[in-house]
Amino acid sequence: MWMAHSRSPYSARRIALACFALLLVALFLLPNQIQGLLQYLDGPVGHVVGVPLEAIASIDAGIADRWERYVALQGVQEENQQLRKEIEWLRGQHSQLREFSAATERLTALLQFKEQALPTMVAAQVIGRDATNRYRAIILNKGESDGIKPDMGVVTPAGVVGRVVKTTGASSVVLLVTDPSNSIPGLIQRTRDEGIVEGTQQGMARLKYIPLLSTLRDGDRVVTSGLVGGFPRGLVIGTITNIDKQEGALFQSAELMPEVDVGRVEEVLVIQMSYGQSTKAGAEADVTGKPSP
Amino acid sequence: MKFIFYLILVLLLVPLQTTLLPHLSVWSIKPDLGLVAAALVGIFAGELEGLLVGLAIGWVLNLFSAGELWLSLLTNGGVGILAGFLGRQLTLVTSISLGVGLLLVSLASGLFAAVSFMHLDTSQMWWMVESIALPQACFDGAVGAGLYWLLSQWFHVTRLRTE
Repeated sequence: MWMAHSRSPYSARRIALACFALLLVALFLLPNQIQGLLQYLDGPVGHVVGVPLEAIASIDAGIADRWERYVALQGVQEENQQLRKEIEWLRGQHSQLREFSAATERLTALLQFKEQALPTMVAAQVIGRDATNRYRAIILNKGESDGIKPDMGVVTPAGVVGRVVKTTGASSVVLLVTDPSNSIPGLIQRTRDEGIVEGTQQGMARLKYIPLLSTLRDGDRVVTSGLVGGFPRGLVIGTITNIDKQEGALFQSAELMPEVDVGRVEEVLVIQMSYGQSTKAGAEADVTGKPSP
Repeated sequence: MKFIFYLILVLLLVPLQTTLLPHLSVWSIKPDLGLVAAALVGIFAGELEGLLVGLAIGWVLNLFSAGELWLSLLTNGGVGILAGFLGRQLTLVTSISLGVGLLLVSLASGLFAAVSFMHLDTSQMWWMVESIALPQACFDGAVGAGLYWLLSQWFHVTRLRTE
């Protein structure tokens, strides 16, 4: 009921209008200064807002976990059988790859390539999705205080998830690889042709600016090129599903099926320093599943 | 007391909008509760409080979005102040008039956002308006109208407005 008695007097209307007009002018004339001013407050406010956000996210995750363990068990048997078959196939692949790995190590030693340090990674949990509908983004429970900065790459063991675009003290926003405003330098693994991976409106990704002479084909894997941005070379982005080669065009493009199901991702790794950048710090991390806390 | 209420409102809006609403989204579209809250505060508490709470909501929600700060501030602050004027000018604000007002403001904000995406061509911009801005505007209007109707059942709105 208390809200009811708070009708603004006539002067309040003038103050409100003046404030709004001032804000409009400030936002259009001094956008960077306004943002810089607010950035000082972003950290502490992010910490405060992060408390209920993390609490509700953990309750939400708990309920989802119970649901998946006890209620949504339909089709588990078929899935189990299929996974067993996949494991058998992957075991074969694994032994083959170990052979290749040993051969690569021998050749690397022979050619005296510089040994590359491993990237430093921070594990983070997904606690929410973008507050608006206009961007495909996720919110992580780690922020500036954990050493996360804008433009850092975000991955899972399966492949690329996106890159950090905004941070507060205790959280960060990651623009997904499927968002049309995101651009990640990519490389076709088989042909070594480079391009730029952008998201599409349909929630997929597209490799653009592929040279016309490239011999790419459906099923080719696209990985990060490591040239620009927060990703080291060789992380899987997706698989080519459709090639678009138009007559008279300077480049061709291809549709990609992202390797990571970004709509269901729950835990991620943030790359703090990529290969080459990390020297001593690289030794502390473990790309194979033991990130620094 | 009022400050604490607004603080709790802003603090709870973030987890509600980012964590819980994605489960209730229809065709991946969720309503903008920040916009609805700013409008309701404007109607019930006047334009100045509507503006200030709208700005606070816009700023805090923008910390958890990849979107532009200026658009979030302008939309939420603008809705707060507009709702305050609407509450003062109209003899009786109905849930329908509030719903239509919210729909229009949300649509205008969606159009602004689509235009501000530099890399979009006309067809992509139209797609964004058609499949994100328009459904969200309808959603915002419906949720705003529903919440206003519920609140007006609890509070004696006509008396409040004339006091």
